[in-house]
Amino acid sequence: MTPTTLLWMILLPAFSALALLAVPKTVKYVRESLALVSAAVSLYLAFALFAVKDLSWSAAWLGSIRLELRLYQFPAFILLGLAGFLFLITLYSVVKMKDHPRVNEYYAYIFLSAALAFGAVLSDNFVPLVFFWEGLLVTLYALISLGGKDAHRTATKAFIISGLCDFAMILGIGIVWSLSGTMTISEIGLKPEGPAALAFVLMMIGAIGKAGAMPFHTWIPDAAVDAPVTFMAFMPAAFEKLLGIYLLARICLDIFHLEPGSGLSILLMVIGAATIVLAVMMALVQKDLKRLLSYHAVSQVGYMILGIGTAVPIGIAGGLFHMINHAMYKSGLFLSAGSVEHRAGTTDLRKLGGLAREMPVTAAGFTVCALAISGVWPLNGFVSKEMVFHGALETGSIIFAVAAWVGAIFTFASFLKAGHSVFFGKRSEERAPGKVKESPWTMLVPILVLALLCITFGVFNKLPLTQFIQPIVASHAEAGAHLDFTSHALDLFNLIAGISVACLLLAFGIHVYGFKRGGNKAYLASEPIHHAPFFKQMYDWAEKRFFDIYEQGVKFLQGLSWVLFKGIDRPIDAVFEKGATAVGSAFTGLLRKAHNGHYANYLAWALGGLVVIIALVNVLLK
Amino acid sequence: MIFLYIGLPLAVSAVLPLVGKASKRVLPDILANTVLAGLLVYAATGARALLAQGPVIQQVRWLGEAVNIRIALDGFSLFMLMTIQLVSLCIALYSINYMEHYGAKANYYALLLVMVAGMNGLVLSQDLFSVYIFLEVAAVASYALVAYGLGAEELEAAFKYLMLSVVASAAVLVGIALLFGMTGALGFDAVAAGLRLLEAKGVAGVAAALFLMGFGLKAALIPFHAWLPDAHPSAPAPISAVLSGLLIKVSGVYAIARIAFQVFDLPSALSQVLMWMGAVSIVVAAFLALGQADMKRMLAYSSISQVGYVVLGIGIGTPLGVAGGLFHLFNHALAKGLLFLTSGSVQQATGTRNLDEMGGLAKRMPWTAGTNLIGALSISGVPPLGGFWSKLIIIIALIQTGEAALAVIAVLASVLTLWYYLIMQRKAFFGKLAEQWSKVKEAPFWMTAASVLLALLVIGTGLWFATVFSSWIQPAADALAKGF
Repeated sequence: MTPTTLLWMILLPAFSALALLAVPKTVKYVRESLALVSAAVSLYLAFALFAVKDLSWSAAWLGSIRLELRLYQFPAFILLGLAGFLFLITLYSVVKMKDHPRVNEYYAYIFLSAALAFGAVLSDNFVPLVFFWEGLLVTLYALISLGGKDAHRTATKAFIISGLCDFAMILGIGIVWSLSGTMTISEIGLKPEGPAALAFVLMMIGAIGKAGAMPFHTWIPDAAVDAPVTFMAFMPAAFEKLLGIYLLARICLDIFHLEPGSGLSILLMVIGAATIVLAVMMALVQKDLKRLLSYHAVSQVGYMILGIGTAVPIGIAGGLFHMINHAMYKSGLFLSAGSVEHRAGTTDLRKLGGLAREMPVTAAGFTVCALAISGVWPLNGFVSKEMVFHGALETGSIIFAVAAWVGAIFTFASFLKAGHSVFFGKRSEERAPGKVKESPWTMLVPILVLALLCITFGVFNKLPLTQFIQPIVASHAEAGAHLDFTSHALDLFNLIAGISVACLLLAFGIHVYGFKRGGNKAYLASEPIHHAPFFKQMYDWAEKRFFDIYEQGVKFLQGLSWVLFKGIDRPIDAVFEKGATAVGSAFTGLLRKAHNGHYANYLAWALGGLVVIIALVNVLLK
Repeated sequence: MIFLYIGLPLAVSAVLPLVGKASKRVLPDILANTVLAGLLVYAATGARALLAQGPVIQQVRWLGEAVNIRIALDGFSLFMLMTIQLVSLCIALYSINYMEHYGAKANYYALLLVMVAGMNGLVLSQDLFSVYIFLEVAAVASYALVAYGLGAEELEAAFKYLMLSVVASAAVLVGIALLFGMTGALGFDAVAAGLRLLEAKGVAGVAAALFLMGFGLKAALIPFHAWLPDAHPSAPAPISAVLSGLLIKVSGVYAIARIAFQVFDLPSALSQVLMWMGAVSIVVAAFLALGQADMKRMLAYSSISQVGYVVLGIGIGTPLGVAGGLFHLFNHALAKGLLFLTSGSVQQATGTRNLDEMGGLAKRMPWTAGTNLIGALSISGVPPLGGFWSKLIIIIALIQTGEAALAVIAVLASVLTLWYYLIMQRKAFFGKLAEQWSKVKEAPFWMTAASVLLALLVIGTGLWFATVFSSWIQPAADALAKGF
């Protein structure tokens, strides 16, 4: 492993993207084989780098700015995760995206995203970091717009929201640069006070905006409907979470030293808690599987932000562990939804039902992932959520732990509803029996791998925690000094776990009640909450995009432009159009009358002109 | 051999009617175009090399004896020669197709060459009497060419043109007589030297005013402009292009500039009068153009307005102002030539010059419409075309000399220019194609080729304006300031 391997890690997928774009549409198998081989090599390189864990490479780039790449425990871990998801999604896409009209663009954008993401993770200098980070904006737009005609609007929305967050991050970087005098990330370590606190908040917006926290999440549910489902599993579920939380952790641990109980810590925890609760409430009432999953993709970010925001070792470790766990089960869930869509042609909960008989493997994968996200013992989601609960309680603010538990209740309730309406219960009348088959193996393997990983990371949680998470937190001395997983009993028999289990039971109760009230229709299970007095009003407003900052911003700008148009532009235009033309035409009319074709007149003008000029010249000469 | 510029076209025009007896079309086409192309190449290459050692003065010999006719070439003359041959060549190319239906092509080319010889002679003259002679040579040929179609309208226009032109010639002749009477000399330098000794400001002022009127009539400056909107539209399109593109500039603007600078040494009184005549012409003619429904009449009024810019620039008298004026002269010669040629294509295709009857012609005549748009944008001063740079230089020169009011007028008038050219575009080329024009065809090859050539020149001048400016315009302005 030479340091240039770091560069190849970035260049390999980038070149693959170009090659994939060039493969003609008519050639079969070449594109898929090339993509799979390239993803596999990336994964191998990531493993190899993970084994090395300590490399740096740098070269002169733009003038005095250096392209600095640095690999240590944390980026190595994220890199491994990214490469793994790249491989699984590529495998899945082989069948799922086969007939997409712009399939070569799809693969090119996926691999370009991977190259940029690898670059962003490895960058040890803000300039290349911003370069790679902003490049992801382009592929984000491109990938969403592959979804078809209407996807363009969502793509624009995603682009503008992410662009604003990135802009905030660049401002923050500018402040950090002026405070520390260097662009090299590993040389920076600031106390978040005064202007540095502002820089912290700005950079944090960039990080949590990428991860999709509230209120920067609103494009994700739209994209769930418009964009290809593989994109959802790839970008919002996996890549953006890993990148956003990675950067957030770097901001909190390296670039700034976040103190437990400080104002900024509380701010992060508030954002986390609000994201958990509000997004899960939205997820609960969705009638479309992909949209439901996308709201959970937002809600779960809240746990990660809450965990990191606690700034206590167990919380940070929990947040990071939750990040990787979430990427696994949420990717698995989106891929299962894609599998359902592939065979049943829809993800609308009202039209599905009883699919477990026809698609048993998909159903099994979905169930494991759904239980994992709901935090059911002994799956991975349980472990990381417990760690976040512990962290939140350790800060002494019990309210954040309560918010996290409320989130857990409704997460489970909504997945009971989703799983029940898609895979169990009665078969929908619209679907003829035997028409739907199980998806092909290339689509099932990624789902099963992810489901197995969920189980492994849950049952043998000490392994990932000590191998991946502990070294990361431990490398930051202040935060990781006394991290010892045995001190927090991460098993079933303690008070905190007891409360979590009680929450799950409550969620089950809510589901059964709603199911009975809705006339034994699973997709109506959330209706009692949907129509509860206070909630009904809020849901109505949310339905009208009342809380969507993007839509409100667009409305505001449209109003502003209308006012400017009617109030300023039109009056000015009237002055020119009515005033100037009228004066001009009148003057022209006068002049034309003078030109009546009489030769004598013309001669008279000429002679008159001569007299005037003689007089003028003589007066002026004196 | 700068005498070639006068002698060759004259000689060929003498032979052409005879050639016309043998070959009605092909030989006259080839002969006329070859002569003009040859002279253009000579101006661009050989004559420039001649100038390297300073102005060239040539003595005409008759049977071995020196006669009292001398012609001279300097940077300014060369620049004008270049412009004349360039535009004339494009017009001759265009005439290959356009003049088919007028008949008697050989005679037409003969007259055109006489006019070119007259203009060439004018810019090579260095005494007042030669100026008068060549002025008349070019003018007489142009009377015949305006009347070339022999319709009632053409004859009336030619007659009006003749009558006002005669007044102009008379004024010029009286001016020359006054100067000759005072100084006893006719050469530019000799008269200038004589005037410096005499200190007879009053009489010199009257002579200057007579020149301003005479050449002002030729250049169609307001209030001496009234013949032009009748004469130019009536002529065949290529002749309109020569008249508007070249003749009014050579026999009007060039002569004024030469005499004002080299004979009168441009006193500030003359400078003021020139600038204000230019400014009034710009504004009044622009408004008049706005009210026209006849395409070629609109172009004719536009010529008056644009010549106003040239005179305004030269009238400033500073090196930059003069250069700007000359650059605008060049740009306007190209663009207005182009616009008249395209208007001829439209007239030939549709049979009308009335803008109100046209519409949507761009769909049927894309080349014509496109080149017309380029010419219009250049004259309106839209970057990066040539007209933008020359107007910009004039405006900068005005601001440098503190003439803010005139600078504002120049800027606002270019808005008017854009206004009426957009009216022309909208009525003739844009919009829905009228029913009766659905069978209209694009102009024939040579007509289109000539338009495209001019359009490319307009674009090229704009894009490489710095090169054009430094290699052609600046030497001309320097020569004008320095004298022979």
